[in-house]
Amino acid sequence: MTNQTFDAFGIWKEMYDRTESAFRDSIQSTLEQPAFAEGLGQVQKQYLQYQGLVNGMTESYLKQVNVPSRDEIASIASLVINVESKLIDLEDQLDVQEDAHDSHAKEIKQLKTTVNRLDKKLDTVIELLTKQVEAKAAATPTPTPKAVPQKPLTPAPNAQVKTAATPAAKNTSQTKK
Amino acid sequence: MSNGVPTASFEQWIEAMKLPEEAVLPQDLEKIKRFTEVVTTESDPQVGQTPKEVIWTKNKSKLYHYAPHAKKTNKVPILFIYALINRSYILDLYPGNSLIEYLVNDGHDVYLLDWGTAGHEDRHMKIDDYIVDYIPRAAKKVLKDSGAKELTIYGYCMGGTMSTIFTSLYNDILPIKNLVLMTSPTDFEDAGLYTNWLNKDTFQLDKMVDTLGNIPFEMIDYGNRLLSPISNSLGTYVGLASRIENDNAVLTWKLMQKWLNDGVPFPGEAYRQWIRDFYQENKLVKGELAVRGQEVKLSNIKANLLNICATRDNIVQPEQIKALNKQVSSKVNTLHEVPTGHVSVCTGRYAQKEIYPFVSKWLKDHSK
Repeated sequence: MTNQTFDAFGIWKEMYDRTESAFRDSIQSTLEQPAFAEGLGQVQKQYLQYQGLVNGMTESYLKQVNVPSRDEIASIASLVINVESKLIDLEDQLDVQEDAHDSHAKEIKQLKTTVNRLDKKLDTVIELLTKQVEAKAAATPTPTPKAVPQKPLTPAPNAQVKTAATPAAKNTSQTKK
Repeated sequence: MSNGVPTASFEQWIEAMKLPEEAVLPQDLEKIKRFTEVVTTESDPQVGQTPKEVIWTKNKSKLYHYAPHAKKTNKVPILFIYALINRSYILDLYPGNSLIEYLVNDGHDVYLLDWGTAGHEDRHMKIDDYIVDYIPRAAKKVLKDSGAKELTIYGYCMGGTMSTIFTSLYNDILPIKNLVLMTSPTDFEDAGLYTNWLNKDTFQLDKMVDTLGNIPFEMIDYGNRLLSPISNSLGTYVGLASRIENDNAVLTWKLMQKWLNDGVPFPGEAYRQWIRDFYQENKLVKGELAVRGQEVKLSNIKANLLNICATRDNIVQPEQIKALNKQVSSKVNTLHEVPTGHVSVCTGRYAQKEIYPFVSKWLKDHSK
């Protein structure tokens, strides 16, 4: 014995390696038996009967001493969960609205760009037309004084309106831009 | 021994049993001391360390966005869905050993829906509620937060089955580009030992849900351990003892134990539905499952499918997983078999070297 060393883990592992497969096979065949499942069911049934009895007794005791049972506390927790669910539903609806708002804002932005482009085009058209009218007017020969109609003594009210409207129109177009 | 006084023969026997001092080497004593420390007093490793922020909550659930400030090179975000009985950190276990960390570092935009811990007030929650009230909202939040036009749904285990149902119902409503599943059962015709144990004649399903409300994690864990009782109990500690001097192996062992022992209760009605509609009546693959009255047809799934099947999985049989690929209408329909178990498919050396890079590449290839 003096020449031997004692390796507890080595012995343990060796024992395990030598016996495990034999035990495993025998246990495996037992576990596969329908009788084992039946036994398991019986144990389960007895445990649940005992547990049911304990639950019932605990509940009636808690009722007598005016202490809320687990079910009663759980029902309060359920109410809180229900409120939270409603909040989550509201949050979801807000998300949907936010998404819709985002898409509307996008559409409005696109619309603005399109209107701006149209405005610029209109300005160009007006400019060209004005130039054309001016060119025409320059090309037409100046009429003789006889042909010029007599000016009214008082200025036409339209003339004032026209002069007042011109800068206003310009301002509108600038705002649009 | 007589009158409490040791006799000569007893003393001789004790003497014979004594090991000579030189027989017990100091390193053996160190090993025993270290083993005792690891099993009894040492603290758990810190899990779920990838930086994340909460972007949405509902009841106990939280939607996480991982590494929100990191550079994203893949435009299609990933939404992870895991099983109702696990903790969210299982997919982000430990730095260097985390699927989420790997994907984030590889330029993916990663989100995860954390189910939280169901309370007694959640015992009436059905799988329908999670699929209709939680997952679609989370998916919309992911799309809004990321600004992406499409997303990838990534399910693990039961979370994969839920993701499958969700995709079949919402594939035409939400832009689901890819569906990635890891060890997710679809066909429950032969679920191994569970088929025997959960049969309608012996298993007290209704009594269990009515009495307990939520099903304690320990009860589900007991069933999982019973699948391979010796290796899941004694074998775990023998494995630790034989590698006790290797710090990395000890860390991996502790991470595994944390994963396996740290679960959450299964919401009662969801459990009833999971066992009855799936394990006992196998409705999903037969096309008989209805979620809030809506028929679930697997053929409605048109998203690109990557279905990862672990061939050494004893919780979900490979045949339960493969059935999905035959039923979907996806043009890209990939079944990827890996030689791992149910847990080692997303953690451990093989997962880090083979599975993470494969998944990341597949996602990049199918997110263009």
